[in-house]
Amino acid sequence: MKVTRKILPLFLFILYAVPAGMNAQEVPGPDENIPFLITFGKEGGVTSWGDDDFSQTFFFALPKDYKDPFYIRVYDPDTGGKTDELNNFWNTRMMYSIYGGKGCYTHEEANGISPTGNYKSGTLLATRTFGMDNKLDERWYTFGPFNPADGEYYPKFLSNIFKIVCDGISGDDGNLYRYAISRRPDANVPIDGANAFTYEYTFRMWNNNDTSFVSHIYPFIDSGCVYIQMRNFDWDDDGDFIVVSVERKGQVMPLSGDDVWETSRMPILEGEIGKSLDFRFYKKKGDLVRNNNVVISVQNQYGENLPFFSAPIGGVPVYKPRIKVVPKK
Amino acid sequence: MRGVLRHITVALLVLSCSWTLLDGQSKGTFEVSHLSAISSGSADMAPVIMSDGILFCSNRKTNPFLTKKNLDGVRLFELWFAPFDGNGEPSSPRRFAPGLVNDANIGPASVTTDGNTLWFTRNLSEGRRLGRKQPNRLGIYTAKRSGSQWTDITPFEHNNPEYNLSYPYVSADGRYLFFCSDMPGGEGSYDIYMCENLEGQWSEPVNLGPEVNSSSAELHPFLHSSGRLYFASDRPGGKGGLDVWYSNLAYGSWTTPRALDEPVNSEADDFAFYAAQGGLQGYFTSNRRSFNDDIYSFSSTIIRWSACDTLQQNSYCYEFIEENALRQDTMKTGFRWEWDFGDGHRAVGITAEHCYAGPGVYDVTLDIVNLITGGIEKRQASYELEITDIEQPVITSPETVRAGETLILNAGATYLPGMNIERYYWNFGDETVATGLEVSKIYELPGKYNIQLIVSSKPDAGGVVREVCVCKDIEVSAK
Repeated sequence: MKVTRKILPLFLFILYAVPAGMNAQEVPGPDENIPFLITFGKEGGVTSWGDDDFSQTFFFALPKDYKDPFYIRVYDPDTGGKTDELNNFWNTRMMYSIYGGKGCYTHEEANGISPTGNYKSGTLLATRTFGMDNKLDERWYTFGPFNPADGEYYPKFLSNIFKIVCDGISGDDGNLYRYAISRRPDANVPIDGANAFTYEYTFRMWNNNDTSFVSHIYPFIDSGCVYIQMRNFDWDDDGDFIVVSVERKGQVMPLSGDDVWETSRMPILEGEIGKSLDFRFYKKKGDLVRNNNVVISVQNQYGENLPFFSAPIGGVPVYKPRIKVVPKK
Repeated sequence: MRGVLRHITVALLVLSCSWTLLDGQSKGTFEVSHLSAISSGSADMAPVIMSDGILFCSNRKTNPFLTKKNLDGVRLFELWFAPFDGNGEPSSPRRFAPGLVNDANIGPASVTTDGNTLWFTRNLSEGRRLGRKQPNRLGIYTAKRSGSQWTDITPFEHNNPEYNLSYPYVSADGRYLFFCSDMPGGEGSYDIYMCENLEGQWSEPVNLGPEVNSSSAELHPFLHSSGRLYFASDRPGGKGGLDVWYSNLAYGSWTTPRALDEPVNSEADDFAFYAAQGGLQGYFTSNRRSFNDDIYSFSSTIIRWSACDTLQQNSYCYEFIEENALRQDTMKTGFRWEWDFGDGHRAVGITAEHCYAGPGVYDVTLDIVNLITGGIEKRQASYELEITDIEQPVITSPETVRAGETLILNAGATYLPGMNIERYYWNFGDETVATGLEVSKIYELPGKYNIQLIVSSKPDAGGVVREVCVCKDIEVSAK
């Protein structure tokens, strides 16, 4: 905590306008093929746009051996311009808050599934609120530098954890954005071994009606998991949802309709323990569902939320068919 | 005919040695040996096994100072018994039941299954000259065992001084008596007759009819427990002189008699066969070495494996399983599994079955079709399937055949890589054999026969011959 207090005043909020780095540790990650995260302004409490709680929390995990300063960058942090979703007129303000220190991750209300209580636990390292700002359209804004030691060390991950919360504090427009963590403030330079994860993913589907555009998210299945319960919101019946793993070629799961939750349960196979699942979302053929924003979360049999990692733990699961040949008499 | 006359006129009617298991369809299936240990230089004939030795008849000298002859001066036949030695071979014989008859020929005998009744042939009159116009004919008699003695000599109720009855043999169950006779009404010369024991009384003799009897002589009847009747006959079609023939009783009728092959039958007289339990060895009589009759033993040279592998059918059919998918076959999946069996055939499903045309190496691949996108993920898994035939001799034949019809058996599909095959040996399961890549066989009797095919290699450099056996059941139905 002492270190944090010393470093915190040194934080500079630097804006760097650089193109999105394809090789960076970005959120959404390259394997996820998700165009944008999205958070709506909470005014009016309208969830039918595809955001159930007007808030999104992500965590960044830096390997404990990484000691250099790093940066958290936000692409198109404002609400307004080309990549955001307009409702009547631009009136929305987004607040980004970055937390470290004890409890930023381990606090029981920190996971952001429901932005209530002390979901902003930990030590506030940086925060900034954006309204409509054309200078930030399709550009990166950089928070930091941060000292990795200012995160919350989590032994299970052997990582220092930082948290970023995006709250739509006013207005009703949709903010489309991305994150990245970087060694440099002016470019997305990845940090070896770093990762990002969330417990409730609110994102924008591709604006097309081509089934070859597949988005993925990768929940990690920890030991002891018997089954998972998936909850998805406001999918507008847009396409298909299948679960793939090293032992599962593709199990079709139900998708939600407009402004409703869909809950489904799936038993976990032994070979899936300790690996990531691949949730695949195929866009619907035919009539285009435009600007489809969706929410998904997963729990185990104890009701514990499971993390979605931007870079899937263990890699993207690949199903391997196994042929057995039995002579017939 | 010379042999027939001798047997009849000398009144030594030898117990018909039955031998059910010899068959005329192949040569060389038995080895024969001259029993020198009991040969006398006189006529020795008609051996049967009785307890622990051989009972036979002989006109050998009884002792150097006394020779029993009939009133015509012809040496009389008597019963002799040669006990088995420690090796199971007949040893020096001794006279059997010397007091059984006086001054008459006593000839071939047989003993009932319980060992308590002796059936034998002898002249009807003892020591009495009847004159040339009153020949001393033959009749059948019985004697009962009483301790070590044979007593209660009783003539058979159908004996008749007008004709001969001889060569008695009682079936193992005691129900039927077979004998031969020249009684009027037969097919010619001597015929085989049968009486049935009806509540202790023997029925009137029944001629076995033209199916068995002929205008030639039929002698030495012997009914094996399998239902096969062996007898001796000098009818045409044999090897010469008396030969051993057989006929099977099937559905109340006798099949056409067939002659045994060499080495049992020969150009000389061969008769009076008797097979021991199991039929693989026994005795018979032949004068092939000299004018005198001698006793020979025979043993089967037929190869039959006690443990022979059952012929396995080559199967080129397989079930293909995508194991990982099968474990979750209840889930709704967005994919379709498509198999390419590597021989131009395909199938769809998590599991699939396919039969190949034959052996070969097949590249089995699995494509998975995404039902949402329509995309095909090629060769998601592959399996090199090598199909070979089972290494075994192969019997190719119908599974069933009618009795009397020709069954063709072929070993051409034999698959024994690396084996330099020299011989295909067929054991037809009825104590007949044949050799050759393709053989034919006619079963006369219905039943289930276990055919063995024994394949032998040429000797290798070390002189080792490799043999492999397979067997197959054939169902023979009635004609």
